[in-house]
Amino acid sequence: MAAGVVTPIGADLDAFWSGLVTGSDGTSPIERFPVADLRVQRAGEIKKVRVPRGARADGCRASLLLAAAADDLLAHAALDAPPERRAIVVGTALGGVEELERALERGGARRAGAALYDSPARSVARRLGVRGPVLTVSTACASGATALGVAADLLRDDRADVVVAGGYDVLCRFVMRVFDALRSLTRDRVRPFDRRRTGLLLGEAAALVLMARDRDAPASRLGRLLGHASASDGSHIAAPDPDGRGLEAAARAALRQADVAAGDVDLVSAHGTGTPLNDRIETAVIKRVLGPRATAIPVNSIKGGLGHTMGAAATLEAIMCLLASRHGLVPQTLGFEERDPECDLDYVPLAPRALRPRVSLSTSAGFGGCNAALVLEGGGA
Amino acid sequence: MRVAGVGVLTGWGDGVDALPADAGAAAAGRRIVPLPAPALPGERFRRATRECLLGVAAASAALRDAGLDREAVRGERTALVYVTAAAYGASNRRFIEAEAGGALHFPYTAPSAVPAEVTIDLGLTGRYVILIGGAVATLDALWQAGRLLEEDACERALVLAVETFDECADLHARARWLAPRPLVEAAACAVLVRGGRGLAVSPAGAASSLEAMVRRRAGETLACAPLIGLALARRTGDHVVSLTGEWRGRRARGVVDGAVEDVGARRVAAPQ
Repeated sequence: MAAGVVTPIGADLDAFWSGLVTGSDGTSPIERFPVADLRVQRAGEIKKVRVPRGARADGCRASLLLAAAADDLLAHAALDAPPERRAIVVGTALGGVEELERALERGGARRAGAALYDSPARSVARRLGVRGPVLTVSTACASGATALGVAADLLRDDRADVVVAGGYDVLCRFVMRVFDALRSLTRDRVRPFDRRRTGLLLGEAAALVLMARDRDAPASRLGRLLGHASASDGSHIAAPDPDGRGLEAAARAALRQADVAAGDVDLVSAHGTGTPLNDRIETAVIKRVLGPRATAIPVNSIKGGLGHTMGAAATLEAIMCLLASRHGLVPQTLGFEERDPECDLDYVPLAPRALRPRVSLSTSAGFGGCNAALVLEGGGA
Repeated sequence: MRVAGVGVLTGWGDGVDALPADAGAAAAGRRIVPLPAPALPGERFRRATRECLLGVAAASAALRDAGLDREAVRGERTALVYVTAAAYGASNRRFIEAEAGGALHFPYTAPSAVPAEVTIDLGLTGRYVILIGGAVATLDALWQAGRLLEEDACERALVLAVETFDECADLHARARWLAPRPLVEAAACAVLVRGGRGLAVSPAGAASSLEAMVRRRAGETLACAPLIGLALARRTGDHVVSLTGEWRGRRARGVVDGAVEDVGARRVAAPQ
């Protein structure tokens, strides 16, 4: 695996990592669209997007972010396969829905087509010269994990030799209104697992990894995806299952596929949104899955600094796990300060932890009872 | 993998028997052939969108066709792979345009709302994948289902597709280069079980005769088309089914070997 990103705390992979370990807060007042009528007007907005060569500054923002992440990826790795053996799998909760807003407001045939959720994936596929499979996954806020799992399946089934996989989502009025209506946004800062947590803030980002089979991967790889799984809650249209059954099933199945025992997990990258419900449920799930060792394993959430980047979140979290292994440093859970009796794990408070996790478990959940888990192995220093 | 059952609802009616011989002629100039929301009992469906109701109805029809009762599929051994190109458009638009009443619509804005209603209705807690795209994405959905069965990640997999167009008719008219007419609203679901080989998906140069038949008889149903093709293949008794699909300039082919079971009793004459 190699990676490329664009995030509210850094416009490339190095800046992203630096922002994580220095505790950068990427949330700020939203400037790009009107929010005066909304309860919460703050998010992890990327203030300046470098317009990649060949792209239009006023074009689809989701495609712009994906192109920027793809350019960053290509700065770290080459797409070493013929076009028909290259594939793309990207996850998104919102696709190009901002283009739907613009299409309804201003009209235009081009925008009507761009409003389809698979348009940004097609755009980045053209940019990368991909003529193999092009898939868009939309398991809500678990999309970035599901996409990596589907990418691994493409490689296993020899449908491609290299797969660019990841996730993205952009802030727009549509999504701000959705979460405003849900009353899940906080007026405070995001405080994952903290006693005072009152909700999440949204963010925008794109994150891509380059995946290849072990035998084709360069020696300097970032790490390996050992296992993945998804599961549905079958419980509620928007709220998570109160017992976290789907999340638990996904985590257990991913560990099983990876042939990794709970005792071998060195780090948990939690979904950790900072909502009262999610963090309590997720803590209980981690304890059930990891058993008695759960309290000894560091659990972090990077949403305190980024906001919840929806379709990009799980891919960013997977990349964080692998970078933690590379650098021997686990980023802190920004915003976590006061312990909650119901959230009683080691959430890496206040400062990064000197630790080189070999195996990480990353968990994600989203609207519609979507759950996904990844088991990753760092490439080491 | 084997196809244990297929449920099909289209703007032409229930099942493939309702398909006309020539959708273009039957549409009689209509650009969109709508499919009304099915009336499903229960308070839980009171707020559900039309596309959610269609998804639930198609899944139920597939179970009936497979001879499975609801209890048989409940739990974590049934996977659900959902695919759509455009069915989220209606709820997205409704939310954008309903500035004041948005709170009622927000849970249904995500594409995951349709499969979520199906998982809740049937009590499914197994593997769960949602793909966006037209017929090519459905071939990928069938491939995913085949993989899950092969890995023993499930005992059966439902591949569900829903397409609605009516609420965004003006947008589809603007983007008319994307798909031929008539656009026919549809919901289709296949129940897949282990057996035979999985679905090998590869690029395709031309439409298979089955794809051409589906387009001729059903019209343009986007992601539903390959599943309607499976339903037609069950009727004609084809054991090796060559599915092809096209979406936005990409074309793929999947061959299901041993896909059809117990077809002898189902053979019917194709409409002339």
